[in-house]
Amino acid sequence: MKKNEEAGFDFEKAMAELEGIVKRLESGNLPLEESLGLFERGVELARSCKARLDSAELRIARLVKDKDGLFKEEPAADEPGNGRGER
Amino acid sequence: MLGERFGDLWVTGEVSGLRAYPSGHLYFALKDEGSQIDAVCFKSVAQTLRFELEDGLSVVGHGRLDMYVPRGRYQLVLDHIEPRGQGALQLAFEKLKAKLDKEGLFAPERKRPVPNLPGVVGLVTSPAGAVLHDIMRTLAHHRARLLVRLFPAQVQGEAAAAQIAEGVRVLSGQPDVELIIVARGGGSIEDLWPFNEEIVARAIAAARVPVVSGVGHETDFTIADFVADVRAPTPTAAAQLVARGWEELAGRLDDAGSGLVEGVERMLLDKEREVEELVRHRSFELVRQRLAETAHRLERGLLRSEAGVRGDLRRDRSAVTELERRLAARHPSAVLAAQRGWLERLEFALEKGQKLQVEGPKSELAGFRAKLDALSPLASLARGYSICRRPDGTVVSRTGQVRAGDGVDVRVTDGVLGCRVERIGG
Repeated sequence: MKKNEEAGFDFEKAMAELEGIVKRLESGNLPLEESLGLFERGVELARSCKARLDSAELRIARLVKDKDGLFKEEPAADEPGNGRGER
Repeated sequence: MLGERFGDLWVTGEVSGLRAYPSGHLYFALKDEGSQIDAVCFKSVAQTLRFELEDGLSVVGHGRLDMYVPRGRYQLVLDHIEPRGQGALQLAFEKLKAKLDKEGLFAPERKRPVPNLPGVVGLVTSPAGAVLHDIMRTLAHHRARLLVRLFPAQVQGEAAAAQIAEGVRVLSGQPDVELIIVARGGGSIEDLWPFNEEIVARAIAAARVPVVSGVGHETDFTIADFVADVRAPTPTAAAQLVARGWEELAGRLDDAGSGLVEGVERMLLDKEREVEELVRHRSFELVRQRLAETAHRLERGLLRSEAGVRGDLRRDRSAVTELERRLAARHPSAVLAAQRGWLERLEFALEKGQKLQVEGPKSELAGFRAKLDALSPLASLARGYSICRRPDGTVVSRTGQVRAGDGVDVRVTDGVLGCRVERIGG
């Protein structure tokens, strides 16, 4: 997700860290202090990732030829699918 | 030698003199107005035919030329045969397919993978048909979060091929497009024909980004399918393919979220078990006994206060309150205090993570807290009672055990207070 990297947030990296945290938490045998720290970090990462996902939505736009014969994007509000981005 | 030279032949003709052998092989001749050639369709191929081969049927066949040595005659060994119902179109299809194949347009090494998380997807299809709706619905269902840029094109009829090809070219020329889908719903071979046109094939082959074809039904193969980077069996399948990365990502996030909560739950259960073990430990049993005794004494004292020693008792009680206050600051069970502190912080963290739908686990955490609170002997300790001993170590639980002026050691959390009995009440 290039756009995310531009915004200083590497989604894949965050996901990888999050999954690493879950793996460690699931392995057990961690001191409370460490578990809590991991958990808090995990929640933070999960929230960022989710926010990142939620900031994008499924959209549709239609290409229309203008009078110069160039194609321009035109939001197609009436197209099926728009407004369906949310699960 | 002949087989090598004529190893890849397309022929059309009418079936004549068909003989089905008990072995399962089919022998016949293919003929047209001026010529004929023997042909054989071996059992392995004959079994796969989805139509009844019969004399007089016009067919298109693919195979190689072979020599039947005992008779010194050439024959075609066919590995593919189909009715020529759409004869001219079919032949055109096969011709173009062979031509493009020869150019290497179908080569596996040309095929590019579908980008994992496309942000902008070009779509060439009809703006009016159900296909557009199906694709959008499927993308939404599979949690794709992307922009579909539709190039509206006719997908059947005279103008269709040129429009489809233009759509692929235009979208391919837009730098933010990461992938192009060409799609059309099912139909007859004529309906699908635009996707068999060379102009479309060339546009797809020249596309800057991977092209996914989803044309017709699963059983339909078009030239566009062969030249596309990925052939999806249907438009819906094409949408699924494109959404795959998004769906996987969302799934991973869900899994991580629940894994996070499960991991913490498991850890809490472990710690709870540790606390329980601690509580069951012998030394706590002793403490619990003493507590019961102290409580008993306090009750008796309260009863007596009714009988007039209210003032004294009030002093006693304020002393107890003071002790309570001081002892509360230094919890006798540091373990428990720490546990509860963590639990509270965890709960706080969980609240922050509400978006992860941790309502259920949260109430379980509350359950853990309740369980810990239920270990009340420890909780009582927190209120700060102390243990009084005579110098010989005997625990003082009755007034009769000491006399005014006796020295006693009063054990509190962090040490021992050397005290002297001034007065014996009760």
